[in-house]
Amino acid sequence: MSRPALKVENVSVRFRPYVDRRPTLRRSLATFRHKETQLVEALKSVSFEVQRGEAFGIVGQNGAGKSTLLRVMARTLRPDDGRVVVRGRMSTLLQLGVGFNAELSGSRNIYLGGLVAGLTKKQVDERYDEIVEYSELGEAIYRPMKTYSSGMFSRLAFAVAMHLDPEILLLDEVLAVGDEGFKEKSMATMNELLSKSGSIVFVSHAVRQLAEFCDRAAWLDRGQLVAIGDAEDVVEQYRAFVQQRRKEMRAQGLA
Amino acid sequence: MTTTTSPVYYARRFNQYVSELWRRRDFVWFFARGNIKARNASTFLGLVWWVLNPLLLGLVYFFIFGLIFPSERDIAYLLSGMFVFHYSSQSLTGGAASILSNSKLLANIRFPRLILPIAFLLESTFGFLASLVVFYAIVIPFAGVVPGPEILILLVALPLQILFNLGLAAATARLAVPFRDINNLIPYLNRIWLYTSPIIWPLSMLTGMSETAQSLFRLNPMFPIIALYRTALLGYPLESADLIAAVIWCVVAGVVGIAMFIKYEGRMVRYL
Repeated sequence: MSRPALKVENVSVRFRPYVDRRPTLRRSLATFRHKETQLVEALKSVSFEVQRGEAFGIVGQNGAGKSTLLRVMARTLRPDDGRVVVRGRMSTLLQLGVGFNAELSGSRNIYLGGLVAGLTKKQVDERYDEIVEYSELGEAIYRPMKTYSSGMFSRLAFAVAMHLDPEILLLDEVLAVGDEGFKEKSMATMNELLSKSGSIVFVSHAVRQLAEFCDRAAWLDRGQLVAIGDAEDVVEQYRAFVQQRRKEMRAQGLA
Repeated sequence: MTTTTSPVYYARRFNQYVSELWRRRDFVWFFARGNIKARNASTFLGLVWWVLNPLLLGLVYFFIFGLIFPSERDIAYLLSGMFVFHYSSQSLTGGAASILSNSKLLANIRFPRLILPIAFLLESTFGFLASLVVFYAIVIPFAGVVPGPEILILLVALPLQILFNLGLAAATARLAVPFRDINNLIPYLNRIWLYTSPIIWPLSMLTGMSETAQSLFRLNPMFPIIALYRTALLGYPLESADLIAAVIWCVVAGVVGIAMFIKYEGRMVRYL
């Protein structure tokens, strides 16, 4: 049994809206005085593992803590408690086109995106042609990215992310990249990553697609792990829950 | 076995941090150049503003205070101070801005955060070097200044000021990211800093003052830094007290600013 690619152990994240979110001098002085701490727990002691070669999905309603969890896994947000162990090179697509400068050409942005993720200039040089070809941008690669359509934008972002040779890929709502043709190609690339025993974690509201693609899934509700296991089972439970909620709300609305 | 508070632990952490920074040196270069290119694309004069801003400010003071500066030779004194000052005062806002304007990057990708202030510093260094060229283009014909061998002092002054500015940018980023109010204060701080630096008033103004007042003016880090540059650019005699003060200021500001920043950067993403 190989060691897991990603291990999340008892992770808790608390935000103090008054101090953390908008910490003006006045408010933070007030906090010193009154010890006013109104905690919002974005994640409550969440633990799970993602194995090599596994596609792992995360479902949950808006505000359940999915994006916070991804940031903790990407290690850009340090949890208040618990820890994350990552074994392997990680590539993240939490928002599209991060590290890109829209004033600059797609071509220069390939370098920016690759370099900030930790590649050397030489490594980007080597992959450059492949990335351009994969993105299907053709001559548009020399135009400033602000002239791109959102589809073109995401195709380039996805192309760069996939050419970082990730062993672990984190995706937030970006499965629906580009048109049908490109979608198929991106799926094929992700399957290839899995077959090379890479791991993929993704968050999506397209739960049917998620159930199809993922081996296992976790359901997050208000910062807590409600269910974890076979993707289809978890998604089934989650959908039943959402339908139930909707029914209740409709009943309340009628009453 | 080391505990998490031992100096050995911190030394190792710092070492790791620096090697992570070094690994991303190409990014710093591309990022700074990209920002300059983007600026050039979005404003007509682009990078020229880096030079034009302090130049215009200097000329305004030169004409307004024509009485204080009776000779046209003094334009060399005024502009040298203004360009050097501008280079540092940019760092007061630039460090925090480099973090705040790249919030998406910080939230999504893990990298040593100091590369953003460093990239900003690289950008402003380009601007400063360009302003030195403009400086000579003005003072050689109009003030009869001829660069002498003292110009080699730049090799000391520039690295020192870079360290100073990085410390300043890092420290203000550390403070202004959680406390955005500070950004509103900075223009006033800059104004006070400008007026208390030997730029729009002549050094001879100090001689009429009491010992205490003089040493207060000399406490301003800009005082010894500008003195170094005036030696390099205008051949003013170098006082060893100024050299020592400049070294102390720059090293202390650099070390303290960088340490404040690194210690805090893990929490930064929460404030964006």
